[in-house]
Amino acid sequence: MDAFQGLLTGFQVALSLEGIMFVLIGVIVGTLIGMMPGLGPISAIAIMIPITYGMDPAPALVMMAGVYYGAVFGGSTSSILLNAPGISGTVATAFDGYPMAQQGKAGKALAIAAISSFIGGTVSVVLLMLLAPALSSVAISFGPPAYFALMFMGLTAISSLSEGSTIKAMIAAVAGFMVVTIGIDPQTGTQRFTFGNVNLFDGFDFLIIALGLFAVAEVCMLILNRKNRSLSDDQKLGSLKLSKADLKEMSGPVSRQSFVGFLLGVLPGAGATIASFISYIFEKRIAKNPEEFGKGSIKGLAAPESSNNAATSGAFVPLLSLGIPGSGTTAVMLGAFLVLGVQPGPLLMTDRPEIFWGIIASMYLGNVFLLILNLPLIPYLAKILSIPRPLLISLVIMFSLIGVYSISFNVFDLYMLLVFGALGFAMRIFSFPAPPFILAFILGGMMEQAFRQSMTISNGSLSIFVDSPLPLSLLLVALVSLLVPAFLKWRSNRLAYKQG
Amino acid sequence: MKKTIFAGILSVSALTFAGCGSDDAANTAGEDGNFEPSKTIEVVAPAGSGGGWDTTAREVARVFGETEIIDENMTVINREGGGGAIGWAYVHGKEGDAHSMFVASPPLMFVPLNGQSEHGHEDFTPLANMIADYGAFAVREDSEFEDLNDLFDQMKDDPESVTVIGTSAPGSMDHMQFVRIAKAAGVDPTKIKYVSDQEGGALTAVLNGSVDVFSTGVGETIEQVRAGNIKVLGVTAEERMEGEVLSEFPTAIEQGIDESFVNWRGFFGPPGMDQAAVDYYEAKFQELSESEEFAEVREKYGWNEMYMGSEEYSEFLEGEKEEIAALLEEIGLGQ
Amino acid sequence: MLASINRKLGLLIFIVAAIYLYLSFQLPNYQYAPIDADVIPKGLGILLLVLSVFLFFSRAVETDAEKAKRDIPKKELGVIAAVFAMIFVYILLFETIGFIITTSLFIFLCSWFLGYRAWKANILVSLLFPIVMYAIFVFALGIVLPRGILPF
Repeated sequence: MDAFQGLLTGFQVALSLEGIMFVLIGVIVGTLIGMMPGLGPISAIAIMIPITYGMDPAPALVMMAGVYYGAVFGGSTSSILLNAPGISGTVATAFDGYPMAQQGKAGKALAIAAISSFIGGTVSVVLLMLLAPALSSVAISFGPPAYFALMFMGLTAISSLSEGSTIKAMIAAVAGFMVVTIGIDPQTGTQRFTFGNVNLFDGFDFLIIALGLFAVAEVCMLILNRKNRSLSDDQKLGSLKLSKADLKEMSGPVSRQSFVGFLLGVLPGAGATIASFISYIFEKRIAKNPEEFGKGSIKGLAAPESSNNAATSGAFVPLLSLGIPGSGTTAVMLGAFLVLGVQPGPLLMTDRPEIFWGIIASMYLGNVFLLILNLPLIPYLAKILSIPRPLLISLVIMFSLIGVYSISFNVFDLYMLLVFGALGFAMRIFSFPAPPFILAFILGGMMEQAFRQSMTISNGSLSIFVDSPLPLSLLLVALVSLLVPAFLKWRSNRLAYKQG
Repeated sequence: MKKTIFAGILSVSALTFAGCGSDDAANTAGEDGNFEPSKTIEVVAPAGSGGGWDTTAREVARVFGETEIIDENMTVINREGGGGAIGWAYVHGKEGDAHSMFVASPPLMFVPLNGQSEHGHEDFTPLANMIADYGAFAVREDSEFEDLNDLFDQMKDDPESVTVIGTSAPGSMDHMQFVRIAKAAGVDPTKIKYVSDQEGGALTAVLNGSVDVFSTGVGETIEQVRAGNIKVLGVTAEERMEGEVLSEFPTAIEQGIDESFVNWRGFFGPPGMDQAAVDYYEAKFQELSESEEFAEVREKYGWNEMYMGSEEYSEFLEGEKEEIAALLEEIGLGQ
Repeated sequence: MLASINRKLGLLIFIVAAIYLYLSFQLPNYQYAPIDADVIPKGLGILLLVLSVFLFFSRAVETDAEKAKRDIPKKELGVIAAVFAMIFVYILLFETIGFIITTSLFIFLCSWFLGYRAWKANILVSLLFPIVMYAIFVFALGIVLPRGILPF
């Protein structure tokens, strides 16, 4: 069966009454769960598994997929409104989404996020449809040396993630890297900095750090400014009108980052979180006005939002065409397939075309539903910001605590949330930027593991990183991106010195 | 259809509703010495959703409910962390509770032996073993190795040239099942190069040629073998397995290596569980294991039947532990 | 004064780095990996030491905006500390007393403490929010929150 015929079969599944209904249920449940801090696609899918017992696999999996990308879609809401990322893929969304909402443009920010997500999601479904079989070879092309190079490339971007003191940005990054070394080291089984405390064996969940450094630290700032009026009087708060200029500004980042996000999603281990960060940095690097990033830039919001949704569809490439789960979420998704008696893998496309293509076809539909469902909700969601400050503060604290608790059901993690909240607040008042900390936390752990895996494979020889073209070229890109800005800065300093 | 969903949601909520909070260690052994559960039974999966422990626990709880072998509700809760240690500590704190149990497999030995958990299998009350799974050693389809002896000969000649990858940390399952078979074949166990990839990149690294051998569970290999991406050099089962693809996998024993490894999976209660309760669960698990419904579950996931009652299970575990401890000692990972 | 804040921070970070580095040197050996578990931590510790020295001697002048951020009245810091203390007590009691009661009390008391005087609305929210959340999590999503002393 060729792809076209397959897709027709897929649309038959997706556009049947049953199909439409389950896509709808999936995306609604997904969005709602995604909106709650802490509850992400992993819990969303796990929750749905028992419900699908005994169902037909095709509609059940169409629904599961809907829950997954629906959760990523909905995850941006609390990032934008409360600076409390709903899921790890939307941490970067808060960088510009939250400032925009604080400027009284919450409706606009949510609309930009929704449209960017929609386009990112849709573009990547097209790519998924056309390229899924072909891309499966890309998905497995990255070995440990290439992953090391990719993560290294991401880390070199730290300097561009922050304003002000480069030393402070680097200190924040090193600190983030240090935090990720806590726990049992996978390569040797050695306990590092755990003090024998079993709660530290697995290290810290990313969301504890993100909610601490962003949500709890923001709560402290809100407490300081609690006597300022809330944003309730602002008529524009819920307005989602976008001007032509706004749309034009979005178009560049969205069209680029949909592709970047998709490609990073295809790589096992990278996923929506890393994709959203890299897209954000990418756009900041090439922007004419990078200083607007972090202060409510439309580009800075559109980039991670299109990217994380695109990465979500991208993650289906290794899952559907290879049976390789590239992330925790797709691993649970793989579990859902197995429960329903379907084995995803290289043969899925020929053995069960109605499932393979049904899921892909349903994603078109799902993205349209998500947009239609979310846009009318925006004015109501934006009203959250008109809640009186003291009450809002209490509620954000509660949201963060419930979110962390529902990850691990471990009270210890709640105390850690408090610790990272205090750290985040201290970093704010002493002007240490949080994004480098977060970025190093995400990339550092994977980079270290990939580095050491490579060294074991090569028996300790560094040449493994330059012997094959993929890691070599990634390292060269990293080097160039590190040296060029430094050179430019040095030159402008010298010119200024000469003139001064 | 809508009705099924609603019913599904209802039943899930009913399960959890009945399940919340069961701290009191009510022991309902009647005066006649028989035990009947009097409230919801809590089954702990010491891991997150979707993994092997979680799936086993949920399927067992589901089939117990559907077949009405146990009338009382069973609810599965996840206590993730420390490779199981957090869940074990949680159950250990419920001493004597006859309405609590957890699902376990060899990591319940490996993790404490690696010094990463205070609690090992001997700290709990074994109820019954249910299933067996086996390890498989796979290489890329175009690999020069045709069978285990090819591979092990190469490793004896030039140990640095072969890298093995698995999901678990060194000293745990994927590593030790390989060490155990390789040692029996005469490979120096201290010279085996093993890398761990916990981010789902292990299979990828084999497929793209970064590493040579993938040490994993047989279930993980079937689909890739069918697609012609990898070949399985050997499995750790004692005899040939049954099944469409599985029956093609040669065992290590067939290849003249006299060693095997079982990935057993069973259920344990908290320490000090009443004997009447142990007898009760033992019988129920046996009934479950013999039921048609559970046979379907085994088939769905490619698991093998391996029922053992409480006492037999204990003895089996003791033997396994001794062997593993000696092996860990030899490669210098024992604590 | 300008330099002194960077000096204080530099010193603090130097101490943190030194402790981390000390702990890195205590890590046990593992004989089978060419790059052992302690290599990266040692590198990070040294890097942080160097950076803290740079910060200590940094001549960068603090901008007015940065200074304004630091300029927090003692009383306000007390307020934040009090809220943290309330969260701490919340976490302490959360599993024994249960989600609904602790959450209700927290929302009411914390909002009141921060100056929310519309007590009727406050009571309403602090009762409804935990009950609705509990219902969603426990009954709709099947995620168990601590029941505590309440019978459901």
